[in-house]
Amino acid sequence: MCSSLRSRLPLNPRTHVKRRQFAILQLVFLVSVARGGSLLPAGESGDTGTIEGTVTYRADSARPWRYSRHYIRRPGSGELSEAVVAIRRLRSEKDTTPREPQTVNIDQKDFQFVPELVAIRAGDSVHFTNSDDSIHNVRASTRIATFNVTVPPRGSHTERFPKAGGIRDPVHIGCVFHSSMRAWIFVFDHPHFAVTDVMGRFRLTGLPPGQYELEMAHPAGELRRMSKVEVPAGQSITVDISVSPDDKR
Amino acid sequence: MFASLPNRRDLLTSGLAAGLALLARPEFVFPGQSDDEVLVPFENVPRSSPESLDWETLTEWLTPQDQVFSVQHYDIPEIDVSSFALEISGLVEHRKSLSLEDLRALPREDQFMTLECSGNGAAPGFSGAVYNSRWTGTRLAPLLKACGVKPGAVEVVFFGHDRKTETLRPGTPRELSVEVPFGRSLSLADATGLNPLLAYERNGEPLARRNGAPLRLIVPGWYGIANVKWLRRIEVRDRRYMGRYMGRDYVTVRGEKQGDEIMYVESSVTRMNLKSVIARVMRRSATDGRITLRAYGAVWNDGTPIDRVEVQLDGGEWQPATLDVEPLEPHSWRFFSIELSGVEPGRHTLVSRGIDKQGRIQPSAQDDEIARKKTYWEACQQWPREISLES
Repeated sequence: MCSSLRSRLPLNPRTHVKRRQFAILQLVFLVSVARGGSLLPAGESGDTGTIEGTVTYRADSARPWRYSRHYIRRPGSGELSEAVVAIRRLRSEKDTTPREPQTVNIDQKDFQFVPELVAIRAGDSVHFTNSDDSIHNVRASTRIATFNVTVPPRGSHTERFPKAGGIRDPVHIGCVFHSSMRAWIFVFDHPHFAVTDVMGRFRLTGLPPGQYELEMAHPAGELRRMSKVEVPAGQSITVDISVSPDDKR
Repeated sequence: MFASLPNRRDLLTSGLAAGLALLARPEFVFPGQSDDEVLVPFENVPRSSPESLDWETLTEWLTPQDQVFSVQHYDIPEIDVSSFALEISGLVEHRKSLSLEDLRALPREDQFMTLECSGNGAAPGFSGAVYNSRWTGTRLAPLLKACGVKPGAVEVVFFGHDRKTETLRPGTPRELSVEVPFGRSLSLADATGLNPLLAYERNGEPLARRNGAPLRLIVPGWYGIANVKWLRRIEVRDRRYMGRYMGRDYVTVRGEKQGDEIMYVESSVTRMNLKSVIARVMRRSATDGRITLRAYGAVWNDGTPIDRVEVQLDGGEWQPATLDVEPLEPHSWRFFSIELSGVEPGRHTLVSRGIDKQGRIQPSAQDDEIARKKTYWEACQQWPREISLES
């Protein structure tokens, strides 16, 4: 039976525990709004726990973020969309549950990568398409992926990502022809990650009980945050993450 | 108008102070904006990103470096400044090889100029490829004169350090692949008459690598493609240069009416066309169910004096906007503003058009000049902005 607990290492004043009572519709909604992030874990059981919460951004007029309006629908409350939230085990254990590799799409449309951020599992692929009449390119030069491919109008390119970089080492995608085009691909070796929706919400389910590092990254805002959490068996904890320009990395 | 924008004198004499004052502003509250004004987002414009002009937060007449676009067709070369040399050769009496120090020792001049990519505006998400700068360097014409241009010269070709293998007639028996430097040319008359600059600074700082460091050509009033980056060699020639970006790409194909016939004509992308853009729309609280809007924007062209800018709401009468008096430089953009009162809540479309002193009017996308243009470049059509107003 679930009991009311507090995280031993509170992340902020709103950290608290709720009963695990999520309507299926809520779950479907959260899964559907996340871009590429797998919220449904493999092998979820009654012993596993859940972390859910909201990422918010506190603006500082002395350190303005010019593009915040694209990621924050309500500046007053600051719910931050397109942030990646993921756990990192304190004891490293790779997830070896068999699964079919997935392919997600990133389009080059209106001289932008759409979506600008995806989160995938190692072994998954990204299918890049070009809906513009102009020539584009997809280029990455990172530790886990290096490629440089021209994509003609209406053309496409598929790239597989066999290595995981986790939240700390995303693949930064650019177009050699157009310097302002950018995207990020986060590749994980486990299923416990999510991308915040337009209300800043995330949910990580199917977590084996234990201690974790809970990490958040928002590459467009250059924001990073990490805290330790403990997930009790069969329980859901709420961890709200509040970031500010102090978290620029 | 952008009421508290620094004027030219401020920029030149107190640039740092003005810059710091702008930096200290709250989260993108615009200069001159009253406290009850809020931004009305455009509904038909994708999000902006760094290294591209962010129209909705445009405040600075001189564009900050983090909003400067770059387009490159080959690589971005890394150039050792200590061994850099600009070669001037071809049909000249005296060839020259000039280091950066040699160039800096020549008469130093400023050139204010709004530089736009000729494809800017070809798609809603590609609208930030324009920026305004104070370029500093030395003029080309005196250098050419000192070299002594020989009779028979017709063109001056500018080659960059960036190189790539180009394939001609691909897939045919006559396919040919050759490694070439990036190049563009000017007629000898333009190379001397347009007063181009060999620029080594932008806004008082050395050029950024992706913007052509250490030396680039600045051709006042011409689209970005003509402003050759990473300049390596200037060659005076006796016949037309037909490199890819002079003779095959950056060629506009447009249907022109000749009697009853539409004849398609190919022309080189050269001078910037007249263009105005509404940068942002601010609103105040509704009074008696009606809303007052203030639209801000910019207008620029090839240096032909601007006569006026007009703004249209929902297809109604064109209304005159107020053009800023300062800063005023012939090749730099001018900011404008207009107040529109009594606007009802709901969806609306605003659009601006520039008109120059020669009577040229910025065309709409439906006008023949744009509708019969079959290529991507010279996208100078009006940019309608869609907004939605809540009561």
